[in-house]
Amino acid sequence: MDFRPSPEQEMLKEAVAKIAGGFGHSYFQLKAREGGKQDELWHALGDAGFLGVHLPERYGGGGMGIAELTIVCEEVAAAGCPLLLILVSPAICATLIGKFGSEEQRQRWLPPLASGEKRMAFAITEPDAGSNSHRISTTATRDGDEWRLNGTKYYISGVDEAEAVLVVARTGTDEQTGRAKLSLFVVDTDSPGFVATHIPVEIAAPEKQFTLFFDNLPLAHDRLLGTEGDGLHQVFAGLNPERLMGAAVGCGIGRYALDKAAAYARERSVWGRPIGTHQGLAHPLAEAKVEVELARLMLAKAAWSYDNDVDAGEAANMAKYAAAEAALHALDQAMQTHGGNGLASEYGLADLWGTARLLRTAPVSREMILNFVAQHSLHLPKSY
Amino acid sequence: MNVAVCVKQIPDPAGELSLDPSTNTLVREGKLILDDSDSYGVEMALQLAESAGGGDVTLISMAPNGETSGLRTALAMGAAGAVLVSDDALAGSDALGTARVLAAVVQRIQPDLVLAATESTDGYTGTTPVQLAELLGWPSVTFAKHVEVTPDSVAVRRQTEAGYDEVTSPLPAVVTVTAGVVEPRYPSFKGIMAARSKPVEELTVSDLGIDVSRVGWAGARQEVVSVQAAEERQSGEIVTDEGDAHEKIVGYLERIKVL
Repeated sequence: MDFRPSPEQEMLKEAVAKIAGGFGHSYFQLKAREGGKQDELWHALGDAGFLGVHLPERYGGGGMGIAELTIVCEEVAAAGCPLLLILVSPAICATLIGKFGSEEQRQRWLPPLASGEKRMAFAITEPDAGSNSHRISTTATRDGDEWRLNGTKYYISGVDEAEAVLVVARTGTDEQTGRAKLSLFVVDTDSPGFVATHIPVEIAAPEKQFTLFFDNLPLAHDRLLGTEGDGLHQVFAGLNPERLMGAAVGCGIGRYALDKAAAYARERSVWGRPIGTHQGLAHPLAEAKVEVELARLMLAKAAWSYDNDVDAGEAANMAKYAAAEAALHALDQAMQTHGGNGLASEYGLADLWGTARLLRTAPVSREMILNFVAQHSLHLPKSY
Repeated sequence: MNVAVCVKQIPDPAGELSLDPSTNTLVREGKLILDDSDSYGVEMALQLAESAGGGDVTLISMAPNGETSGLRTALAMGAAGAVLVSDDALAGSDALGTARVLAAVVQRIQPDLVLAATESTDGYTGTTPVQLAELLGWPSVTFAKHVEVTPDSVAVRRQTEAGYDEVTSPLPAVVTVTAGVVEPRYPSFKGIMAARSKPVEELTVSDLGIDVSRVGWAGARQEVVSVQAAEERQSGEIVTDEGDAHEKIVGYLERIKVL
């Protein structure tokens, strides 16, 4: 068992850290406050080929795996500028198009997604179908050679930054089970019948959340991705990469918080010695460090499994769980270490709380992960 | 235009550095990284080769234990290949010993131009490049803040305290570039993946035909006799404003001759 990153992974980590370090958390804060986007950072990463590291070279990608994309995702977060759209555009959408798209669809969408020139959002969640995808009611119906899309999605991230949305829609019902037969469609955000409404949330991040309404939206036949009715099975192929990126953001935020806290605890002196001398502050930070490193280890295992065609479900879920918890604990302890400064904008910690807290709920909730682990790892009865 | 760049691989300055108490020299075991000040030379070399319409950029480095981590970073930026001299006999080399090794490599690969940083981040002697030029019998131009080449000459704006000198030198020559002379590019992912398969020729002292008594501890004319910790920075003077703070501050700035 070799735990060392490859020389290329080391260089990737350094290069991304350098690019993101040049922007830093104050850039993230400014964009979040002014309602701007981290476009400069996104394009700097895209131009260098870092947003398509996991995509095939013939479609403009780097020809490596999801492990490399987790490095990119973690490093930008560790520099204080998490990019939540990495979870969606390259991790889910590009992965699904790469796996299930026709040659024409791959050639059309993958190069601009790999270069970051275009972004694609992902829409599965609905008001009446949260984690239960079988209840999806957004429907695509055939209209001659085309499709018509009707329905509502909500909590869809980054729609205002995206040229298109990959939408999960019902295209039929399984007569035996009564469950929805789902299919995937690429929907342009400037289509007629497409309406996006901003959902205000208490997260200080440049990425916004939206409710989407599709009103008899016309879709050409080439907008169906993969096999009609096989959408749920296809979506599952994109969920592990999404969970891994969620875990990577958590690990990055944890590292960012602990770096700041440790630097502060080494410098800040109140009773004649640095406050980090006191075990009351040192031990909780050390604990948080252990948790972040354990989450990173599970993330590496899950990414390796995914890239080597070993079932990654359990490890990806565990990594996502552990990283979200570790990020929150590390951030909380970093704020505590800073005393009153922990809440000050200048110290760049408290404003990340919403993003870190989001990771406990999305892209899959803590409880759904525990259900998975109880059922699949401990073989306990299915709870839902 | 073939350009060679002298690059040093150094212990990460952000990490914990230590001195060997028996020799008072930097411990250089473990992973080494590309000296940040050399990334400017690499970038300049890439730009010059490109503006000259082609040619290769070759890295020259001397490092212990066959270390190539820093070289890979520069190869990922776009250099075509590297020559690494790694030999236990080189431990303890002073600036002149290092220059001897670099000169032997330059003679072997015969570039049109050699670039180097003005000084390394770990050693700071700033003497190796000019010693290299002297050993080669080539002109050297130091502290370049702007460089242009023609097929047989190099024109340099050379940073001075008052401004800059314009210097033109025939090629081949050695030019040292200041930090900030160009904006070093970030390695792209394609560059990173390509770096793996770029050639790094590893040589020993005997491959270069250098007498081992003229390098390493044996050949060093410089010895670090003692090392003392830098004095801790004194806590600053606090000016309490009783309506005259501005006068006190102006007075202080005058005393230290800033005003």
